[in-house]
Amino acid sequence: MRARPFVAIVAARLYAELGTIEFTLLAALLVGMLAPQGLAGPIAFCCLAGIAVALAASPGRRPHLDHCEQSAPLFGRELARAKASAPCIAAVLTATAYLGAAQTRGGSGTPFAAPVVLSAVVACTLVALCAAIRRGLPRALYLGVAVAAGAAAYSIAAVAGCVWGELLFCAVAAFFAVRQYGEALARYDPM
Amino acid sequence: MPLLRMRDATFVRGDCRAGPITLDLQRGDRAALVLNSSREAAIAARLACGIVKASSGTVLIGDYDPRVQSVHCKRIAALVPHEPAALHAGDFSRYVKYRAALWNVDEANALRAAAVARQRLRSMHAAFALPLIGALIGNPQLVVLDRPQAAYAADMLALLEAKTIFFTHTSDVEAAAFGPFAPRARLRA
Repeated sequence: MRARPFVAIVAARLYAELGTIEFTLLAALLVGMLAPQGLAGPIAFCCLAGIAVALAASPGRRPHLDHCEQSAPLFGRELARAKASAPCIAAVLTATAYLGAAQTRGGSGTPFAAPVVLSAVVACTLVALCAAIRRGLPRALYLGVAVAAGAAAYSIAAVAGCVWGELLFCAVAAFFAVRQYGEALARYDPM
Repeated sequence: MPLLRMRDATFVRGDCRAGPITLDLQRGDRAALVLNSSREAAIAARLACGIVKASSGTVLIGDYDPRVQSVHCKRIAALVPHEPAALHAGDFSRYVKYRAALWNVDEANALRAAAVARQRLRSMHAAFALPLIGALIGNPQLVVLDRPQAAYAADMLALLEAKTIFFTHTSDVEAAAFGPFAPRARLRA
């Protein structure tokens, strides 16, 4: 994809959701200071924040951005990558704020906490994006899958103790979620 | 060769239904399509610029089929939606730069052309003027106006003087404000 439309879409989406992002960052700082230990807190909180910012990108919330993106001469996969990047950046910033706040209170106490949390958050956010362009039962199902992806990432990393397995799982889940989102956007009908 | 060709183009999705619509729009022509409801008008406008795909029938925009070549269609046709954008005068340059980036056109030229267009549309509220100015940034051959505001008809027509224009309306009175049309170009679905 050409860099210019990509940057324009990401910047416009982040600017439009500035209020939501500020709120999640402040909440992450606060929760990170209150619950600095372990992986359950950061993964659960940051995955929920990722789902929230993904749903904030639902069609209809920013009609003029939706209209510009739908009428722009871009392929579905190009649009998907750009639209997926904005919530991922917001979710990664939230996770970074959480881990930063936790670090000031003694850290999470788990080795490789940052890559584990960041990969889980990105995978969960990307799966939740597929819910953002659907309604009714499919939306609920994708939200369930997003939560399940976060839970599975936590189980692999914290319960099974396999960090590399968790990273691989999140990479595979994120890859398929972006592909699915791209295909859904290409078929998406604004009416 | 028509710039826009629709042959029994129908859109059906749940409760949403529009068409069948049949029309040919030559380069430089102006056509108005009067439909029964706002939703049908919105669908017809989006069919004409390749944003939604016809469920049956054919739509060709400059010989490209939106079902397989939607990117080419979107370079030829631009939509001006009916709904005002949540934009103010202060958003002008950010909005123009954003649209210039999406259509990958030179930013400085886009800003210059948009400033001239804004000057010509100075009586128009930014919420209506910016989508129209934005639609022209990619230099489309066909401009599709979904239920445009009759109050701004003269300003809009003056700005779009050299373009091929396709309007959708929900009443003959609204359509008349944007006339006159060639007899064959005044249609009813």
